[in-house]
Amino acid sequence: MLDHILSILIFFPALAGVLGFVVNKNSIRSYGVAVATIEFVLALWLWFVFDSNVSGMQFMEQIALIPTFGINYIVGVDGISLFIIILAAFFTMIGIASLGETKDIKNMIITLLFLQMTMVGVFAALDAIVFYLFWELSLVPMLYIIGAWGGPLRIYASVKFFLYTFAGSLVMLVGMLFMAYFYYQATGEWSFAILDWYRLILPESFQLWLFVAFFMGFAIKVPMFPFHTWLPYAHGQAPTIGSVILAAILLKMGTYAFIRFSLPLFPDASVYFMYPIAVLAIIMIIYTAMVAYAQKDVKQVVAYSSVSHMGVIILGTFALNVEGITGSIFLMIAHGVVSGALFLLVGVIYDRRHTKYMSEFGGLAHVMPRYATIFGVMLMASVGLPLTINFVGEFLSLLGFYKQSHILTLLAGTAIIVGAIYMLAAYKKMFFGVVTKEENKHLKDVNKRELLALIPLTIITIWLGIYPKPLLGPINTSVEAVVSLMHEKSLSEEAKQRIPSVAKDMALITKPTGEAH
Amino acid sequence: MELFLYTALFAPLAGSLFAALFGASKKTKIAGIVPSALLGLSLLSSTVLLILVFMTGRTIHVEMMTWMAAGDLYIPFGFVVDQVSVVMMMVVTLVSTVVHVYAIGYMDHDKGFNRFFSYLSAFVFSMLILVMSDNFAGLFIGWEGVGLCSWLLIGFWYHKESASWAANEAFIMNRIADLGMLIGIFLVYWNTGTLQYKEAFAAMPSLDTAILTWMGIFLFIGAMGKSAQFPLHTWLADAMEGPTPVSALIHAATMVTAGVYLVVRANPLYSLIPHVGLFIASLGAFVALFAASMALVNRDMKRVIAYSTLSQLGYMFAAAGLGAYWVALFHLMAHAFFKALLFLGAGNVMHAMHDELDPFKMGGLSKVMKGTFVMMTIASVALAGIFPLAGFFSKDLILEVAFVEHHFIIYTVLLLTAGLTAFYSFRLVALIFHGEDRYKHFGIHPHEAYKFMLVAMSPLLVLAVIAGAFKMGYFGMVTELLPATEYHVHSAATYWIMTIGTQLFVMGAIAYAYKKYTSKDIKVPDGTSKMENSFGYKLLINQYYIPYFYENYIVKAYRELSEVFWTKIDQKVVDATVDGIANIFYQTGEKTRVMQSGNLSTMLKWMVAGTVALLSLAVAFGLAARYSVEIKTFLSGLGV
Repeated sequence: MLDHILSILIFFPALAGVLGFVVNKNSIRSYGVAVATIEFVLALWLWFVFDSNVSGMQFMEQIALIPTFGINYIVGVDGISLFIIILAAFFTMIGIASLGETKDIKNMIITLLFLQMTMVGVFAALDAIVFYLFWELSLVPMLYIIGAWGGPLRIYASVKFFLYTFAGSLVMLVGMLFMAYFYYQATGEWSFAILDWYRLILPESFQLWLFVAFFMGFAIKVPMFPFHTWLPYAHGQAPTIGSVILAAILLKMGTYAFIRFSLPLFPDASVYFMYPIAVLAIIMIIYTAMVAYAQKDVKQVVAYSSVSHMGVIILGTFALNVEGITGSIFLMIAHGVVSGALFLLVGVIYDRRHTKYMSEFGGLAHVMPRYATIFGVMLMASVGLPLTINFVGEFLSLLGFYKQSHILTLLAGTAIIVGAIYMLAAYKKMFFGVVTKEENKHLKDVNKRELLALIPLTIITIWLGIYPKPLLGPINTSVEAVVSLMHEKSLSEEAKQRIPSVAKDMALITKPTGEAH
Repeated sequence: MELFLYTALFAPLAGSLFAALFGASKKTKIAGIVPSALLGLSLLSSTVLLILVFMTGRTIHVEMMTWMAAGDLYIPFGFVVDQVSVVMMMVVTLVSTVVHVYAIGYMDHDKGFNRFFSYLSAFVFSMLILVMSDNFAGLFIGWEGVGLCSWLLIGFWYHKESASWAANEAFIMNRIADLGMLIGIFLVYWNTGTLQYKEAFAAMPSLDTAILTWMGIFLFIGAMGKSAQFPLHTWLADAMEGPTPVSALIHAATMVTAGVYLVVRANPLYSLIPHVGLFIASLGAFVALFAASMALVNRDMKRVIAYSTLSQLGYMFAAAGLGAYWVALFHLMAHAFFKALLFLGAGNVMHAMHDELDPFKMGGLSKVMKGTFVMMTIASVALAGIFPLAGFFSKDLILEVAFVEHHFIIYTVLLLTAGLTAFYSFRLVALIFHGEDRYKHFGIHPHEAYKFMLVAMSPLLVLAVIAGAFKMGYFGMVTELLPATEYHVHSAATYWIMTIGTQLFVMGAIAYAYKKYTSKDIKVPDGTSKMENSFGYKLLINQYYIPYFYENYIVKAYRELSEVFWTKIDQKVVDATVDGIANIFYQTGEKTRVMQSGNLSTMLKWMVAGTVALLSLAVAFGLAARYSVEIKTFLSGLGV
């Protein structure tokens, strides 16, 4: 079973989803929870059997699909993807368990199970075409979730979400085809296997063009400024569960892909574009934080804060050293946990009041002390207080980038200030003061079903803030391999200098096979 | 011995968690008693550690576990008990224990009693992490932890708009400084390769002075926030919105001195960059005078004491900046005792006066509140620096340091401030406790605080009186770690003239304050007197218009810019562009749809148009190919 654990992780939810059509409507919730729990246990098992001293891919499977063109079903997992897969399984589980929707619950759960397949598929795929398939497929369930269960503007929001990200991905697909073609030119064989591509050294001018092509796909997904405007609409209209999965997992596809594709495939281009991307990241951090501060709707605050935090992740990724990249991967997990929790929390109050305007609240700390406490913990995690999960990632990301540029890090560091401003302002508006609105006076505090999701998230937030080592260890090992591969492959003097050499033996690298011309 | 270290550190955490268990339930005494008892335990352990360090000179260093490890970065949870941290531990645990016991009485009628103790003990835990950590990252944990607790406690009465506003102000302003601190930490890491104090300081002498200067500046920016130095000082006065025990513990005795602790701890760094040190000292002297001047006229008892704290922090930085680290730490300790005492006394007065803060509405309280009166008077004498109380030994020493180091401007400023300190302290004492019983006009019936609250305060009283006696023993101990420079004025005559002169000057200021504010003519100011309309008074009462400036030119600007970013740029530019592009495709589709209408004559027209277009293109290419040479010459003639 271990040999096929990744395939099981990918296809089990989808299979269960298909079977879900014949399950009785009244028992679909327990069915969904059971399936998601099995999936989560399997993911934990994967972690258990994962060898954290190995930097390369583990549990690889390979099935030929179109051998003539080198398209194969290849999956594998390393320290970079492992925890995002576990996070995806975790969020699907608590998402289904705490699902507040009652309308069409059967379709919702089946959709979520399909979504889970695509999410795990993206993070496990090691063949560009398979990756691309899962990447695009993941749009469909989300489109459906927003379009069917969303708010009044749901059609506009879902179509915008779909077309925007789809357009970006097409450019990325063209990049992938070129990449495979270059591989063919260099070696005489077609291959879409990412690990094969790693061995290919491209001249810098090729790297630049391909980097841009891939960048279009990833940047829209992240979303990076100025491609971010689909996100507030999607979050604004999506039901709680949609926002949670979108923020916690789907956005991470973009940042993950930067580390899986852009950095190791195009090290010189990564160095070349480091400063422009850092500037974009800083704009994301400061500008969207300010936009978040101007919001009146608490869900939009959290949505824009997501973009702001993604800026720090991007910055850490383009630190191009072990500290920064490790930090950015850790921050992906951290941001998943915290923003997922924040969206759940917004959902809690929305279920009660059917409004998300902060001016409608005030003094909630009196009425809902438990809710206020959990929100407070997540608020502090979101502003990156030490001993919460976010701090570790933010600290390492910024620390890493400081090696590249002092002044840009100083600017990016304002994240800790602007983040505190909008978060504290929002918290003050909602929870402090006296209760003025009649309908707020008798609100019920968080119930058991909601706590089922919130308490584990709170525990993780603090536990991994105090003891991040179980995650940092494997991540660090795999990142060291990526960085040293980049250092080996890079051509220009500047790149060699910017990307530190990691003096350890690397499993990822076998000798570069050739150069494309 | 490690057991004592862990007990001292984790007992407050246990207390905090214990009180938190009762967070949502009704007020229960046990939620206050257990954390206080656990703090007593922490105090006991700290005392044992102090005795150990004092007697044997041994220090204890433990590494509990790894916190972060990535790349070459390695940060453990490591704690060190050495000569400096043990002094801080004593100050922190002692004052906190007193404040905890006091607060059982003070918060007696508050609904949030349980919650209060949970926060307060959490603060002590964070503060201990801050002072005991063996590396910069651990320091930063404590640093942010105390910031969080300060936020929670300033905004403790969150139903008050002013309280939650002040809490947010404090947090955000501290965050600005924390960015400086963070950058300082990054600089330390990338230049020394470690964040452990010992290794990092050992590597510093071989670094470039420019880098060290930046390091020193950025770390000091962090210190400026926590210790509320100009221009990040406004939050401290507003923080007085919190319950008074909080003001005593956090905003007088411990948290605000964290900045001083940082400079003292980083003395190997600051010793290498004396020019930054001089800047710190100058800023300290400036803040001492600046804050004291605002205390002169303020009509809020707690704010006066807060400005006084600010002013005394200025003294500490002046000493630390001039390299007299042990002097700074000594004043920190002495100040913690008498300032906490002063605040707790003010708390008693507030209770008696039903939360009235204007001393002009009090007067003559010495008759009803004997114990509080004695304590606050002694605390004020100590603060003024009269022989033989604690303040004399520590503050006089700072003046001597400035004099011996030939920084006469700093010396003069600090001397002047000493006079102002004496004046505003006794202005307060005189207004509260002497003169007419003005409170009677407001129908208030004051009463003395609970006995056990006064008893709880008494250790501080004793220490405020005798702390000076520890000077030599303290000096011998901390100079194992800190530079052991002794500051002696060379000629004995100069020394005596200086000391006696200072004492007379200070006593004169006290006498003047007494004379001015015990007179029968004192009335509650109503804004009509000449003095109240003078420019100087307005400037001071409005805090030099700095909060006004911040509110109108920074906060407002930020809010408006945010609004513009959202409504104008994000919606009208960025998003509109995206929709515009999508619209182009859509419109093109709409427009070109007519070609495919199926109408034969239209389609024939389009066919002809297409054929003509293609043919003309072919002709153009043909011509271009034929005359390619000529075209090339022509183009090159144009310089293309």
